[in-house]
Amino acid sequence: MLATGILLHGFGQRYDLPASLALYLFAAAGVVVISFVLVVTFAGDQVGAKAIQYPRREVPFLTRVARSPWPRGAGGVVGLLGLAAIIVTGLFGSSKPELNPAEYLTWIYFWAATVIVSGLVGNLWYLLNPWAAIYDAFNSPLVGRSREARVGGHRLPNIGIWPAVAAYFAFACLELTSGMANRPWIVAIVALAYSAVTLAGMFFFGRDEWLQRCEAFTVLFGIVGRFSPLEAERDERGGITAVYVRPWGVGLLQPSPAGWDRVMFVILMLSSLAFDGIEATPSWQDLTINLEPLWLPLGAWGFFIEKTAGLVLLTGAFLLIFVAFMEMVIYFGNRRLDLKATVTAFALTLVPIALVYNAAHNYSYVMVQSQGLIPLLNDPLARGWHLWPAVAAYKPSFALAQASTVWFAQIILIVLGHVIAVYLSHLKAGEKFRTAQRVLLSQYPMLLLMVMYTMTSLWILAQPITAGG
Amino acid sequence: MNRYRMPIVVAVVVIFAAVGAVLIFASQNGGGQNVTLDVTVTGAKSMSPDTLSAHHNDTVTINVTSDTDGEVHLHGYDIHFETKAGQVVSQTFKAVNTGDFEIEWESTSTHLGHLVVS
Repeated sequence: MLATGILLHGFGQRYDLPASLALYLFAAAGVVVISFVLVVTFAGDQVGAKAIQYPRREVPFLTRVARSPWPRGAGGVVGLLGLAAIIVTGLFGSSKPELNPAEYLTWIYFWAATVIVSGLVGNLWYLLNPWAAIYDAFNSPLVGRSREARVGGHRLPNIGIWPAVAAYFAFACLELTSGMANRPWIVAIVALAYSAVTLAGMFFFGRDEWLQRCEAFTVLFGIVGRFSPLEAERDERGGITAVYVRPWGVGLLQPSPAGWDRVMFVILMLSSLAFDGIEATPSWQDLTINLEPLWLPLGAWGFFIEKTAGLVLLTGAFLLIFVAFMEMVIYFGNRRLDLKATVTAFALTLVPIALVYNAAHNYSYVMVQSQGLIPLLNDPLARGWHLWPAVAAYKPSFALAQASTVWFAQIILIVLGHVIAVYLSHLKAGEKFRTAQRVLLSQYPMLLLMVMYTMTSLWILAQPITAGG
Repeated sequence: MNRYRMPIVVAVVVIFAAVGAVLIFASQNGGGQNVTLDVTVTGAKSMSPDTLSAHHNDTVTINVTSDTDGEVHLHGYDIHFETKAGQVVSQTFKAVNTGDFEIEWESTSTHLGHLVVS
């Protein structure tokens, strides 16, 4: 009645079964016990700048590769082909989402898989970004000037990364609240429009200026890439001078420009992911039905407005809870600290929780649904072509997506993310607060917040999935 | 304490993972039985019952009776039932994949119900 079929994550259905109550309780108890062990073992730790130092090792081979133009060139070609495929198949292919490659490429290969791989390995978007590739292709061979010199003459007003926050919010709305993410031609039009805006922005305001402040995906993958084990050192012109490997997560400890725009971006990452899960729960469906008198009279826009209001309220709640807990952290840390700077620094320590939830939530989506693209290669535009008959009859393999495997992967991921987040937050507190005792005290509210957040992730994974209809 | 804390944390996480693995993989109750499920599709819009369940490795037979000509599609297993008004169409398969699989009326993509294999 509300929607036909199951419209989650943009398109397609989920196959995975919700985790059982027993498993949920086991994982939740594990999170509490492990948190307790972490607090006890980390008591009496380093304080000051030493706290956030981490080991890293240079990899000469990767440095050589990164300095050559090949990775960017190859990545740019792949990114461009992907973007072109989304636009062409979206506009001219099947109107059924499960038969249109644009849906698979956008929502699974780009949106779910690229984020997971970027966290696991390194910032893939830096290589794939098709708009940066177009810009560079137009500029580098023709004009031999440095990047800075190519600023298009206009200057962006001093608005931080708020444009990227707005773009990310708009993208989250397309995916989660518009109900249109499963229409291939809309996905293609949005891709086309966003490409035009991004290219124009880069030419008017300068490549890096636009990418780093207005291009939502560059900002997003920049944050995700901080979690990854690859670290690039750059010279003042942006060229890579060395590549290091480091433990996962520690890159989030590096200093970040302070600002509510950056806090908002991280909070939006958390809340949009959570909303993706929450809107499939029976509780949300019941709420939607109870609220019918409010949104039904609004007509076609009613459902969209109701969902968007849900996303906005959830984001607001996340932000308020986070800031309230940060006030407590500063209070217990007993040191006069700038709220904005402290909130920004600690916001990044929540990123591991968001990333593992993302991976757990999208596990079977990436493992199974992604294979749905393979048979479409035979006839990507649904014109009756036989480009590659060998793959036409391909049936997705469920080998890595049996319920028990999925559950195991999910709880291990969630707990590992929780451990990393608690650890990072502890190190960050060590940097901010003067004595070990203060560090410990300041971490109790943070620990509580992280346990709450992890419990929410587990709760969502244990909810029965509803059909929305 | 400093020297031992990493091994302690790693040990606790490994124990957690091991206990979780035992809990999850040991509770896999072997199906392997023959299950027959009868469903009725009305007006290409609804199916009764709308939730079917089976266990992993069961041999499942689904008998579909529809009052409309058309096609019922079981996702995941990708099984199609070509229905003729008033006639029973049967398909038998082994439930090798666990999960929650949608059943829909193919031509209109109308959600009819789902098969849960646990």
